[in-house]
Amino acid sequence: MEIEVRPGLIGARVQRLEDPRLLTGHGTYVDDLQLPGTLHLAFRRSDHGHARIIAIDTEEAAAMPGVAAVVTAADIADGVKPYRATSRMPDYHPTTLPVLAADKVRYVGEPVVAVLAENRYLAEDAAEQVAIDYDPLPTVIDPEAAAQPGAPVLHEEIGSNVILSRSFSRGDVEAALAGAPVRVAGRFRMHRKTPAAMENRAYLADYDQGRRALTLYSSTQVPGIVRDSLAEILDIPGNRLRVIAPDVGGGFGGKTPLYGEEVLVCHLARKLGRPVKWCADRLEDLTTTSQAFDEIVEAELACDGDGTILGLRAEVIGDIGAYSIYPYTAALEPVQVISFLPGPYRVPSYHGAVKGVATSKALTGAYRGVGRPISTFAMERLVDMAARELSLDPLEMRRRNMVRAEEFPYKTPVGLVWDRAGFMECLDGAAAAADYDGLRAEQARARADGRWFGIGLASYAELTGLGSRISAAPGMPVNTGTETASIRIDATGAVTAAFGIASHGQGLETTLAQVVAEELGVRVEDVEVVHGDSDAVAHSTGTYASRSTILAGGAATLSARALRQQVVEAAAHLLEAAQADIEVADGAIRVAGTDRAMSFPELAKAVFVEMGRLPRELREQVDLQVTKTYDPYFGTTAPATHLAVVEIDPETYRVAIRRYVVAEDCGRIINPMIADGQVHGGVAQGIGAALYEEVVYDDEGQILTASLVDYLVPTAAEIPEMEVLHLEIETEANIGGFRGLGEGGTIGAPAALANAVTDALAPLGIDIDELPVTPDRLFRLIREANKDEN
Amino acid sequence: MKPPPFAYLAAGSLDEAISALAAGDGEARLLAGGQSLMPMLNFRLLQPGLLISLNRIPGLGGITENGGGLRIGALTRHAELERSPLVARHFPVLGAAMEHVAHLAIRNRGTIGGSLCHADPAAELPMLMCLLDAGITAQGPAGERTLAAAEFFLGALTTALAEDEIVTAIELPALAEGCGWGFEEMARRSGDFALAGAAAIISLTGDRVSEARLAVMGAHPTPLRVAAAEALLRDQTIDEDTVRAAAEAAAAAVEPDNDLHASADYRRHLIGVLTARVLRAALRRAQGETP
Ligand SMILES: Cc1cc2nc3c(=O)[nH]c(=O)nc-3n(C[C@H](O)[C@H](O)[C@H](O)COP(=O)(O)OP(=O)(O)OC[C@H]3O[C@@H](n4cnc5c(N)ncnc54)[C@H](O)[C@@H]3O)c2cc1C
Repeated sequence: MEIEVRPGLIGARVQRLEDPRLLTGHGTYVDDLQLPGTLHLAFRRSDHGHARIIAIDTEEAAAMPGVAAVVTAADIADGVKPYRATSRMPDYHPTTLPVLAADKVRYVGEPVVAVLAENRYLAEDAAEQVAIDYDPLPTVIDPEAAAQPGAPVLHEEIGSNVILSRSFSRGDVEAALAGAPVRVAGRFRMHRKTPAAMENRAYLADYDQGRRALTLYSSTQVPGIVRDSLAEILDIPGNRLRVIAPDVGGGFGGKTPLYGEEVLVCHLARKLGRPVKWCADRLEDLTTTSQAFDEIVEAELACDGDGTILGLRAEVIGDIGAYSIYPYTAALEPVQVISFLPGPYRVPSYHGAVKGVATSKALTGAYRGVGRPISTFAMERLVDMAARELSLDPLEMRRRNMVRAEEFPYKTPVGLVWDRAGFMECLDGAAAAADYDGLRAEQARARADGRWFGIGLASYAELTGLGSRISAAPGMPVNTGTETASIRIDATGAVTAAFGIASHGQGLETTLAQVVAEELGVRVEDVEVVHGDSDAVAHSTGTYASRSTILAGGAATLSARALRQQVVEAAAHLLEAAQADIEVADGAIRVAGTDRAMSFPELAKAVFVEMGRLPRELREQVDLQVTKTYDPYFGTTAPATHLAVVEIDPETYRVAIRRYVVAEDCGRIINPMIADGQVHGGVAQGIGAALYEEVVYDDEGQILTASLVDYLVPTAAEIPEMEVLHLEIETEANIGGFRGLGEGGTIGAPAALANAVTDALAPLGIDIDELPVTPDRLFRLIREANKDEN
Repeated sequence: MKPPPFAYLAAGSLDEAISALAAGDGEARLLAGGQSLMPMLNFRLLQPGLLISLNRIPGLGGITENGGGLRIGALTRHAELERSPLVARHFPVLGAAMEHVAHLAIRNRGTIGGSLCHADPAAELPMLMCLLDAGITAQGPAGERTLAAAEFFLGALTTALAEDEIVTAIELPALAEGCGWGFEEMARRSGDFALAGAAAIISLTGDRVSEARLAVMGAHPTPLRVAAAEALLRDQTIDEDTVRAAAEAAAAAVEPDNDLHASADYRRHLIGVLTARVLRAALRRAQGETP
């Protein structure tokens, strides 16, 4: 492949600028912030999955040493407006989100009583003394049972646990299925996952009584959304309300909602006039941070005799947990399952329907990949099953159905449009990098020796960097389609680029600095990136949905270009040259072909200090600060193919990943090292979903995976070496030519591993349709298969 | 996840710890590496009034040769067992197993005494002590006594230790010259408590088994020496059929529970698989080969 020669910074393996700070312990996380007089919050949380609250006795707790206040729902009604996630989507029923449960609790871990004390130890001692009298109600745990008429209802005002229904159709899928020579069907189940970020959620609110201004330090991915929401809920104007996300230790989607604890620390800080801090412990994180990936997909795929896909039909049930999450709504995850189910293939007829069902469990919300890990798992299994029926190689089956280069833009059955992207290039790239034919030969030898050796492919496409025409969640009344960058050269000549996005591990301080530096003509280290602060720009949402490089990078490009033009105009005057002859590079301003030059500090001095060097009219245009907003309008397609090779111990059923190859199209690459890291991390989380991680509730709604001993996040020892190919297929879908790559790793890995494990077990005729595929699940499947055999 | 209030005593001598423990009248707890105790305090599963740290008591740690075997102080850290040349020479099975105990940071703090007294059914050290016929020495107000490992473990998280006793040392008697060993476990992730594990020692006279020891863990309320399997091996020439029969005997001997990570049936299955593997490995080592 020919690599374009780019002397510039975009495409360079620049070391992460944030790493010296973060790796030497100089990062500042919310828990590191110490404000004098801070009160610490602890909660008494529900230990019932579903119960009516009869009485709460806080007297003993309030009398404990060091306790400043014990607060129930009744105590906060005056300062906190009720809120709920609304949507323009039909057949959707919002649920009011209580900050503290008032009359009912609907999941174990729901906050009921808040205790404020001089430190967290005392707060927990007192919280233990709160007495809550419950009248237990029947729980709803199984989402299919919960959707049935007559099931106990969590939200009486809705009258059913079915919170939302949605469907998409194209063509006559019934006719396609009826006439098809090959039909394969399955019931695919992925179990609930929790983000388990390294840093638990943490909030510190500080109220300045003199200015009547509130500052919230929050480990959030979305300071803009939190600011805008709190302004309404707490009735404070945005100019006296600031939300700062300092260093944040990972989010993976779990830090995209607004949480009741965030509302509460703000309310209490304002009410009591003292800073209020709450840092979740791991127990609270695992029981109350938004969870995800909990769907059942019943799907059927129909093909022609040569493997051409004719139609696809799917019924999806999403277990959304106890409430519809704010502000995305419970539709976010399950609706994306049916939106993306057809995958990167030509699917002429389609019907996909989804129901989102409330259950007595923690809320679900965004998690890296949102919906696509499950849709890809189901579709890629079906594609392999059809290939097997047809005795076609899975690689060939995909080649025959994948949207080809000449077919872009391609409109999917649900009306999304794929722009030209490297679908086939990724498939072929992964196969070539892995030496697919060689692997199949190796597999044949391994099988002859009785070894369980499997190869799994998974291809997908997603839409990243969504613009204003497409909402991140269906019908949500929040604009997630624009981002703003504000870049200035100050009086000392230093460059500051301010964004509303909030980097929390992605390396955006580096990649955005690379974009600004390249466009402006300075060195990367000259650019100070400000982010994670609602005061940085007038409007922003934050970092999620593989959007920040495309949207913030786009805004950076627009702003930096306009600022460079100002630099050129001022320099042309100061250096007495034509604008066309001014070169700005590496932080120096030169007249081409001469030794006349000036530095940024000299230029800044001339603009801001040495009045008279520039004419007054020019100074009115050249103030060395530019703010621009970028809206990509639609989205940018990002495809990939993953290839996994596994070997299963035929006695212990341990699954070992022997090779892992990813070929992904990320468009114009800004920093290959950071791009690798995003793919590695994403795949690691996909491996977690495929083999290890599962949130388990019992029939009473008790969560059994409430520690990291029981909720198994893979460690470095479980993650294999990966071979990652970045294909840089050009795109005009956004100004920078970038494609989002933050989530893709998690989307492809569960499907690739499910296919690889199924392939390894082909001699036994076992299909993997439930993830994670744990050794115990394999044991049961193999025992059943052996029984059938006998 | 903050512990409830407690008083703290860093005991300077064994006597001080013993009298504080006795004075605590059931309200006091000993703190060794803290790797099992601290999580239980943070979850408020235990609310002791007094924590007595053993960490500053001189002479409670360390590994010394004793007869042909070893004496291991109760405060000896897992990491020391893992790296000790004495352990590697006398009881290679013990050294090799240690890398499966939790993670490096935990092995730097966790102690053999703590592991034995905590008595997790899936912990490696209790099983290995049963395998190695260890004597566990404890001291209390009434003096010192030594319990055989086989009598020490009564149930999950339950031992024969009296409330006012402190484990001071572990005595490991010498193994037969030239014996072979095997250790295997199956854990979900590296460093997790095992779903099941097994360890074996085999000594040969000619090609006949003169001594066979088999211990299993993780599938029974306590670690278990499988007498039935040992009897099947003793005085036999081991072939694949004997290995299978012993594996079946081991699987039949355990009474596993269903839990989050594995069903009882799978655990029983693993005991059979792992038993066969450790027996094959021990046999090969006893024959002077590397498995
Ligand atoms: C994440 C994690 C994973 C782990 N994985 C494993 C594993 O795979 N395998 C494994 O075996 N262990 C594992 N452990 C446990 C670890 O090995 C502990 O170190 C060990 O179980 C307890 O040793 P300790 O010295 O830390 O004891 P402590 O936690 O200090 O004490 C444990 C108990 O023993 C008592 N006690 C301690 N010393 C004495 C003594 N001398 N006399 C009388 N009573 C005493 C204490 O009062 C307490 O009740 C794991 C722990 C963690 C946190």
